[in-house]
Amino acid sequence: MKELTNEILNNLYVCMVRIRLFEENAGKLQENGKIPGALHMYVGEEAIAAGVMAHLSDQDQITSTHRGHGHLLAKGGEMDKMYAELFGKVTGYNKGKGGSMHISNLEVGMLGANGIVGAGLPIAVGAAFSNKFRKTDRVAIAFFGDGASNEGAFHEAANLAAVLKLPVVFVCENNGYGEFTPQAQHQAITDVADRAAGYGMPGVVVDGMEVIAVYEAAGEAIDRARKGEGPTLLECKTYRFYDHSGVRGMGFNYRTEAEVERWKKRDPLDLFKQHLLDQELMTEADAAALADSIRQEVEAAIEFAENSPDPDLSTLLEDVYTN
Amino acid sequence: MSRNSNQGPVGFIVNPASGKDIRRLVAKASVFDNQEKRAIVRRAITGVSAIGVNEFYYVPDTNEIAQSAISELAGRVSAHAVACPGTSSALDSKIGAIGLKAAGCKVIVTLGGDGTNRAVVSGWRHAPLIPISTGTNNAFPVMVEATVAGAAAGLVASGLVPLETVSEQAKLVLIEIENEADDLALIDAVLTNDRFIGARALLDSDRLQLAMLTRASAASVGVAAIGGFIQQVSTVDDHGLCLRFSSQGRKLRVPIAPGLYQVVGVESVKTMALGESVTVCGPGVLALDGERERVLKPGQKATMKVVRDGPWVIDVARTLHQGAAIGAFELSDTGDINAV
Amino acid sequence: MADANTQDKREIPYVMAINEGVHQIMQELDDTFLLGEDVAGVGGVFGTYRGVLDKFGPERAIDTPISEKGIVGLAVGAAATGLRPMVDIMFMDFLGVCMDEITNQMAKMRYMFGGAATLPITVMTMGGAGMSMAAQHSQSLEAWLIHLPGLKVVMPSTPYDAKGLLIAAVKDDNPVIVIFNKLSLGIKGEVPEESYEVPLGKARIAREGTDLTIVALGRMVYEALNAAEQLAELGINTEIVDPRTLQPFDTDTVIQSVKKTHKAMVVHEAVRFGGMGGEIAAQIQELAFDYLDAPVARIGAPFSPVPFNPGLEQAYMPNAEKIVAQAKELLDR
Ligand SMILES: Cc1ncc(C[n+]2csc(CCOP(=O)(O)OP(=O)(O)O)c2C)c(N)n1
Ligand SMILES: [Mg+2]
Repeated sequence: MKELTNEILNNLYVCMVRIRLFEENAGKLQENGKIPGALHMYVGEEAIAAGVMAHLSDQDQITSTHRGHGHLLAKGGEMDKMYAELFGKVTGYNKGKGGSMHISNLEVGMLGANGIVGAGLPIAVGAAFSNKFRKTDRVAIAFFGDGASNEGAFHEAANLAAVLKLPVVFVCENNGYGEFTPQAQHQAITDVADRAAGYGMPGVVVDGMEVIAVYEAAGEAIDRARKGEGPTLLECKTYRFYDHSGVRGMGFNYRTEAEVERWKKRDPLDLFKQHLLDQELMTEADAAALADSIRQEVEAAIEFAENSPDPDLSTLLEDVYTN
Repeated sequence: MSRNSNQGPVGFIVNPASGKDIRRLVAKASVFDNQEKRAIVRRAITGVSAIGVNEFYYVPDTNEIAQSAISELAGRVSAHAVACPGTSSALDSKIGAIGLKAAGCKVIVTLGGDGTNRAVVSGWRHAPLIPISTGTNNAFPVMVEATVAGAAAGLVASGLVPLETVSEQAKLVLIEIENEADDLALIDAVLTNDRFIGARALLDSDRLQLAMLTRASAASVGVAAIGGFIQQVSTVDDHGLCLRFSSQGRKLRVPIAPGLYQVVGVESVKTMALGESVTVCGPGVLALDGERERVLKPGQKATMKVVRDGPWVIDVARTLHQGAAIGAFELSDTGDINAV
Repeated sequence: MADANTQDKREIPYVMAINEGVHQIMQELDDTFLLGEDVAGVGGVFGTYRGVLDKFGPERAIDTPISEKGIVGLAVGAAATGLRPMVDIMFMDFLGVCMDEITNQMAKMRYMFGGAATLPITVMTMGGAGMSMAAQHSQSLEAWLIHLPGLKVVMPSTPYDAKGLLIAAVKDDNPVIVIFNKLSLGIKGEVPEESYEVPLGKARIAREGTDLTIVALGRMVYEALNAAEQLAELGINTEIVDPRTLQPFDTDTVIQSVKKTHKAMVVHEAVRFGGMGGEIAAQIQELAFDYLDAPVARIGAPFSPVPFNPGLEQAYMPNAEKIVAQAKELLDR
């Protein structure tokens, strides 16, 4: 297993705090009417993006979900272009044409958030195919939810990847709900990883609130893929702290406050911070200073986004085709 | 069948998380799916029932494995849940074991790996136990057909076969951790130079520093195998083993996990009398029965000793042989066998 | 069918009209059941199924996994064996996921089986842009559906039609796709309390006029009405036809109107190229060529996916202003 250097530990922590602060501020901006459309936030699930992406370079690819900001940030997305996209500004990653649900940056191998549940999985398989075709050691990661594992796309992607022995890792972010339907009502199993056996690949369950656990398991799965040994299904048990879309969402009554509070006691940021403090790898002062600097990054990025122009109406028909 | 005052219910504890960890990758182990665990419970209950014992207590696991298996038998058996905090962690097994003890279970059947049984024993130290392996790197639980294990549980729970005649008290490693709660291990307690618990499984032989073993066998997998390559220690031997590791020491090729051989350097081996202790110091991580469990902060001490103060582990084969010898499977005219 | 306009002046929003229709038809026909993602527990993400679970229980109001292929396929099988499924596909865009079940199974089974199978399925879905939901949650894909023999397709614009067409769709023994509009959910209109049907295949004259016929689909009816007010100020008297059902299409009503006005325009929110407007324009020129004073005008979205940016999205969507401009051109004003 790769040595967990202090630098890696620090990067993991920075990554998680960046996602948290980015999302909390995005939530506020949406509530204030500054971000149009739907906004699915990643708060509570940060350890997964951080732990997986720590093993990837810009050459490796990911496909994301409707809940994609954390994935892009961890993959190297810059906050200013991300906020700009959420605002719909021309300076955004998608020139204002995609928004939250389609945010992407191919330069860092982020093949897009996706508005169609499950759609990212076969696309990641395609990226993995491309990696193998070109004889690289690149890997592709497909992030998807527990709910998405019920789409045909999941099953077809898993089978294809296994039979073609492609360098892809399917990372299930099992937060216990597909929109407002609890897992127990949408599938008769509790571990999505159990499905791996049916496709002839390893399935692993890991605590998605513990970034080191995710880091270790993802590292093994990614190594395996790079070595040409085929795909893995890695299931991370997690929870979303905000509503399905937006901070408070539509006010549906589908989970209890007590349940939310119970999970918040396992906040991935708190858990990891405590480990770092215990190991004397960080002090409270370090953590505060880091949060401050990230807050400044957030503020500057929001300012950039607010001051950026909307796309010119003449761009409406641009980029439908190459010419 | 003559009802015996020693008769009592059988308890079930199923660990829904066993057989799914990172060892699927590193150790090429396969995922142990929960459908199969459910089927094992179902078959075990059939075995228990075949002996005429129809009263069960179970720990309601968060994946409802035991519940759903038992509900399939609704009406034919009497089954009761004990309290379980539903934390999806080892705490569920621990609290569950306390509940099974309070419910007066005569035998408990566990489904899980070494870690599961460790959690159970931390709740009920002297539990009469039939551990069925549904995990990965298992030294403690045994690979046994659930039907047979169930019948053994039935024979003991019915009082037909006295517990003392077919069980043996297991050794433990007891661990006192400075300023924190005590802990225990059934097979091995290992100090590693990790800093985090992470994905739990112990997979890296380079990180081993010291191990306390209750048993050591060349025919096993994990740290117990390392000891076994040097000096066998059986479950009946009244001593344990302490290994110190170092890259300077003698080099052995060991199966650190199923399907995973690594080279480890052993600096010294010492037989540990029961009660003889060794103290280690952090920073580091204590891996208990193959899983990183406790983080030692810099300077934090932990003291470990092997004692024979563990659960009563039932020998399934011996139990069935005794049961057969006393005619427990003979059908009388009155139709004693009340199979489900 | 009760006539609402005379007896009942109650006004309720579009979303409530749908909800009432679902309740009433499920009450009336006990072989119906509601199937879809988040339709039961929370009553649908748009609120269209609120209270259905409480009233009809979990056997008839079923939250499904996110499995559109499975959902529509299930409906086909259940219908072929005698039930009357009411299926929700949350956003019309997600039809892409279950297009085989729609195209190759639902639409064709009866024909392929020589008339042996009857598939009284209703698929309810939500189309349209205007909420910055971007390219995969805003489309108007009715042209896909009208092209499939075996399917009926309705697109209610008003609360009255939303309820009445829905009830008629469920009662119809053929598969019917009901395309609601998400931007119209709050629009209020007169809706009778009792159950009633709006017959499938019958257009409605939404506004009578003499100078120009506008055939407007779905929510575009409101944009056309708005445009008609502006045109009236210029002395142009616009007639607006709301087809309500796209398949089968009420050609007659449209032709009658064009014969009266001699000028025609078709407006839909879908991309103009290959949209329903082409079919309607073709029919008009086939059947009323001699009555036309000008080519049939067509308004639809430009040939691009729906953009996220609100300004671009507004520019993208057809609206009253674009209709007025086009009408002026058509009428040489
Ligand atoms: C094909 C498709 N069906 C339904 C939806 C509506 N929808 C958006 S997110 C979502 C739930 C997804 O659940 P899960 O995969 O568990 O991801 P989570 O939101 O929990 O992160 C649904 C049903 C959609 N966007 N696409
Ligand atoms: Mg989910």
